[in-house]
Amino acid sequence: MINVLFVSSNTLPVSAIAETAQRLDAEGARVFYGACTAEPKLKAALDGVELAQIHALPRANLRRAVDLPFGERVWTRCRKDLWLHARAREAHVLVAVDEGAVYTVWQLAQRNRKAKAVNGFAPAVSAVRELNGQDAVHTPGYSLLPPSLMAREFGRAVKRLPDATARALTARPIMRRDLGAKLWRLPLRAPGVPAGLRVATGRRVAEAMKWANKHTGAAYALALTASKISDSKTKAELLYDAASLEYGRGIVSRHTDKAVQALLAHADELQAEEDYLNAAGTLQRAMSLSFHRVAHIDGLSSPLADAPMKFIKPYHASKAMQTVMTPRGRLRPAAPRPTDRPLRLLITTSANANFLHEILDRYRDHPDVEVRFLDMVTQAGLKRVSWADRPIMQERMGGDDEYADQVEGLMRPYLDWADTVFVDWCVGPPAMITTVDPGDTRIIVRLHSYEAFTRWPHLVDWSRVDDLVFVAEHLRGLTTELVPALRGPKAPRTPVVFNATELSSFPREKQADARFNLGLVGVGQVVKDPLWAVEVLRLLREEDERYRLLMIGGDMDRDFSRATKKYRNKMEKELEPLVEAGAVLRLGATDDVAGKLTDVGFILSTSVRESAHLGLMEGTASGAVPVVRDWPYFAGSTYGGARTVFPDGWVVDTPKAAAERILRINITEENWRDCAKLAAEHALSTWDWSKVGKDFDELIFGER
Amino acid sequence: MLTSTIMSAFSPSRAPQPDRAPGSDAPSSADPGPGHDGRRPHLIYLAIGFPPAAKSCAYRMRETANQFIAQGWDVTVVTIEDESWELESGIDLTLSDQVDPRVAVLKLPLRREDLETDIRRYSEERAVSPGRWAKKLRERQQETFPEATFGDWRGPLEDAVLGLHKERPADLLLATCVPYVNLAAAWRLWEEARVPYAVDFRDGWSIDVVDGHEAFRPESEEGRWETRVLGSAISLWVVNDPIAEHYRARYPVLADRVHVVRNGYDADSSPGRSRRPDPDSGLVFGYLGTVNFSPEHLKAVLEGWRIARTREPLLANARFEVRGHNGHGARRGANLQADLLRDAEPDGVTYGGPVAKAEVADAYARWDAMVLILIGGRYVTSGKVYEYMATGLPIVSAHAIAHDASNVLKGHPLWTGARGLDAKAIADAFVDAAHLAVESTDAQHAAAMAHADRFTREIIMSEAVKNLVDQFQVEKGRAQ
Repeated sequence: MINVLFVSSNTLPVSAIAETAQRLDAEGARVFYGACTAEPKLKAALDGVELAQIHALPRANLRRAVDLPFGERVWTRCRKDLWLHARAREAHVLVAVDEGAVYTVWQLAQRNRKAKAVNGFAPAVSAVRELNGQDAVHTPGYSLLPPSLMAREFGRAVKRLPDATARALTARPIMRRDLGAKLWRLPLRAPGVPAGLRVATGRRVAEAMKWANKHTGAAYALALTASKISDSKTKAELLYDAASLEYGRGIVSRHTDKAVQALLAHADELQAEEDYLNAAGTLQRAMSLSFHRVAHIDGLSSPLADAPMKFIKPYHASKAMQTVMTPRGRLRPAAPRPTDRPLRLLITTSANANFLHEILDRYRDHPDVEVRFLDMVTQAGLKRVSWADRPIMQERMGGDDEYADQVEGLMRPYLDWADTVFVDWCVGPPAMITTVDPGDTRIIVRLHSYEAFTRWPHLVDWSRVDDLVFVAEHLRGLTTELVPALRGPKAPRTPVVFNATELSSFPREKQADARFNLGLVGVGQVVKDPLWAVEVLRLLREEDERYRLLMIGGDMDRDFSRATKKYRNKMEKELEPLVEAGAVLRLGATDDVAGKLTDVGFILSTSVRESAHLGLMEGTASGAVPVVRDWPYFAGSTYGGARTVFPDGWVVDTPKAAAERILRINITEENWRDCAKLAAEHALSTWDWSKVGKDFDELIFGER
Repeated sequence: MLTSTIMSAFSPSRAPQPDRAPGSDAPSSADPGPGHDGRRPHLIYLAIGFPPAAKSCAYRMRETANQFIAQGWDVTVVTIEDESWELESGIDLTLSDQVDPRVAVLKLPLRREDLETDIRRYSEERAVSPGRWAKKLRERQQETFPEATFGDWRGPLEDAVLGLHKERPADLLLATCVPYVNLAAAWRLWEEARVPYAVDFRDGWSIDVVDGHEAFRPESEEGRWETRVLGSAISLWVVNDPIAEHYRARYPVLADRVHVVRNGYDADSSPGRSRRPDPDSGLVFGYLGTVNFSPEHLKAVLEGWRIARTREPLLANARFEVRGHNGHGARRGANLQADLLRDAEPDGVTYGGPVAKAEVADAYARWDAMVLILIGGRYVTSGKVYEYMATGLPIVSAHAIAHDASNVLKGHPLWTGARGLDAKAIADAFVDAAHLAVESTDAQHAAAMAHADRFTREIIMSEAVKNLVDQFQVEKGRAQ
């Protein structure tokens, strides 16, 4: 029997494992699988795959290994794993499943020197076939390490000694104590310390605190070191590392403003030195902090939403950023709509076509339009250039003609063909496309919602865009406030056109007890804030225990972000007794939202941020009474929010107000039915595709 | 119709013959050629990818060599050892069956270090950080010649052609690329011995055919090499008109030396009409080719297939078989595409691995419609479009609308048309193809096959080689 040991580091390619295991089984081999993956996940993923044994290898790094190359980190954490050595000793074939596992297999192969050691699944099958073709298969086993490797390993251990000593002084138990951590900050504050030594000490202390699981303390040590450093590059790097460290842990870093300031100042210097590559890279780092999704997307508040102008001011003051945002205009205006042939309309997006289906169908069937669809991610070249923020900025500074050439080559055939290009989502693609002059092709960009909280609207050359379409008034207000180029003489038109949605299939007869059921459509993201609905439910049940909450849609994925995991854990804790009591029904993902809505009497929008909330519109069209939280990101702003999308009466400020509205309307069944009917009529006459489609025609064919 | 076609005895479907090593006695034809001392002229053919390499370029290379033999030349092919292909696409010994036995083959002991999968051959530095090691390797390779992966083959290739020329003087050298480092060897022989040369770029170097933009500028190192080598080449072959236009525009003085030599298909790959579609037992759609498209591209195709199956009763029990190589080196068979195909199994999708050349016609014969999944756009034609056409089966296009394959397919009676990469549009095409498969007549099927007739590889290459030989004679006359 031939023994095959697979080792994987950070991947779990289940289909390849299953297929290979099957082929090896047919060759008479036994397959052992060791992976640096949590045991439950590993077992669940490989359930049913024909493997002799599965083993979860250690995942925690040794402290001294933190900065080593990944392959070496994997080996240092696995080298004492007894299962691994037992299996490696018996193996005829050692297989690295991914790049991170190659060094571990290389090391095992130095010990089991008769085994074949290969990289990848197909070579593993070939190796087994080769062994099967031999007259006799060798007996596997360990032998002494080659003297050259032993000498190298000894040399490395000696070299690590000074570091090892420093690590002993900053060991985890010491750093975990507040006193230990504080003592180590003293040398960081001391005056007269040479900069090089100060930075090295600061980084060592940060590493130690990180190791002791004190990430905020580690970030503080880095920021403290930065505050004593005058060199702008080092300062910017230390502050960037401090803020990134916290964001990496799902924390909105309090060092963000200082880090952004330092990075922008350094970018300005680099630009003045005509080092555009690094100036763009530094701008990119600043933006990655300012617009980090932990700060705006994954949480329940956003510094950008709280004070947009304060938030964006440092960028408007940066010379490098001013250069990036300078409008370059176009040689010719967009040509009028052709009269002798159908309008050629290119509809494009990058990976997300969720809001395009109705639009595509409408114009595919339209005699006056020839429509083509382009998903940028389906073409490798376009995918590569579409999200390239650094080259985009570098090119704007005058430092990357090659990028402009690439975009020209990739996009020109589309721009030449199309009379109008409709780019859905204001993210990478419009920033990429406006790197080149669109000629006389009309460019329309649509911004939904989350894009306003990203760097992308600041990287689009708006003088090359004819229309920036918003799906709601408040997003127009926020975005035009943030981006000055949307207000200037070369600014595009900024119409508001609602999202395309077919509401006509939603009105259906309600179930008898529907008027005591609250519904929430879409609970898969933190911004939906379902706990707000739970609070409304709690208040209602204090009055009447018949009230229930129906949650429709897939749950938040804990692996998505730390913030998501934290919220989900809290939510689970609060939901558990309510689910047990039958007060909350979690209906999960469904293809039949309209069917589920027949049980819903009140439809809620509990989000902190929305553009228009399609789920609410669908629920309202179904005959449920809408109750809309005044989305906090926009509540009280000059440009509106939930109150500019929906009739004022639907919108409430607090869970208490929501509960009061529901109780007031539900005073009788007849009253509830009347309110629902009125709301449904409003929804269908305002947002149904039969109405919005005409607005789209106006956008596509209208006067320019 | 091409009346001047010279038929090679080893065009596909003829009897297999053994190979011959360089340096052995050449069984020359009786006709004295225009070579040295009245002997058959001698071609050195730099063709890395020559059979038995299981690569799509092998067919074109095989036919080129066979046509030179058929037109009175002796041919010495320079390629790399069979073992080296095991690291990449593998080998297909059936491909060698139809190489004319008079073709001499020199196999150099060169291998792609980056694709090595035997970890015992790795240095510790490589094992620790394969990515960083590969980056350094690419930089090192480009010190010799500006081409990643192959640049450091320059020395051995130059030595090989100089050695061959010393042993048996060459009258002409033909370099087919990739790899482009072949150009260095062609140039060296030209500089040292004034042996005229021609270049078969197939896809072209200074144009990125997949993305459709300039790959490098004329003043770059690659640009200087291309300008220098093409400046003295007697002929440049490329596979389609858009690429030819690129070269004519980039080098106006070469315009009349640039020729379109399409890939075409081998007649023995065409199955004829051996199967009648049977919707009751399930229509079978097929894709045969390398899985070289992105996961997103494949996702759109599989989503289109899923939608079509739920919408169209004819497709309710249909199957979609994907065949061909998927990935190479260590990651062969282990990528996102493999996961997507496996996940699509409940929709009747299967992945069956590569098909040996000799079994291609059998594979086509089991299918009722073809799915043409192609990357790139107007600069890409791909070889499979010709083979697909020759099956006479309905063809579903899953590629960009502005694609050179669309130009070739225009007028094909059983083509659903190119509708882009939107899943819904692809679903429409699957539905149309299902109806075409069931409702098309024998006459339509024959018309579809006839559409492909002009693209028979033998006809195309015979004409191309004849023109090159004529050009060679003209140049030779000029030189004298």
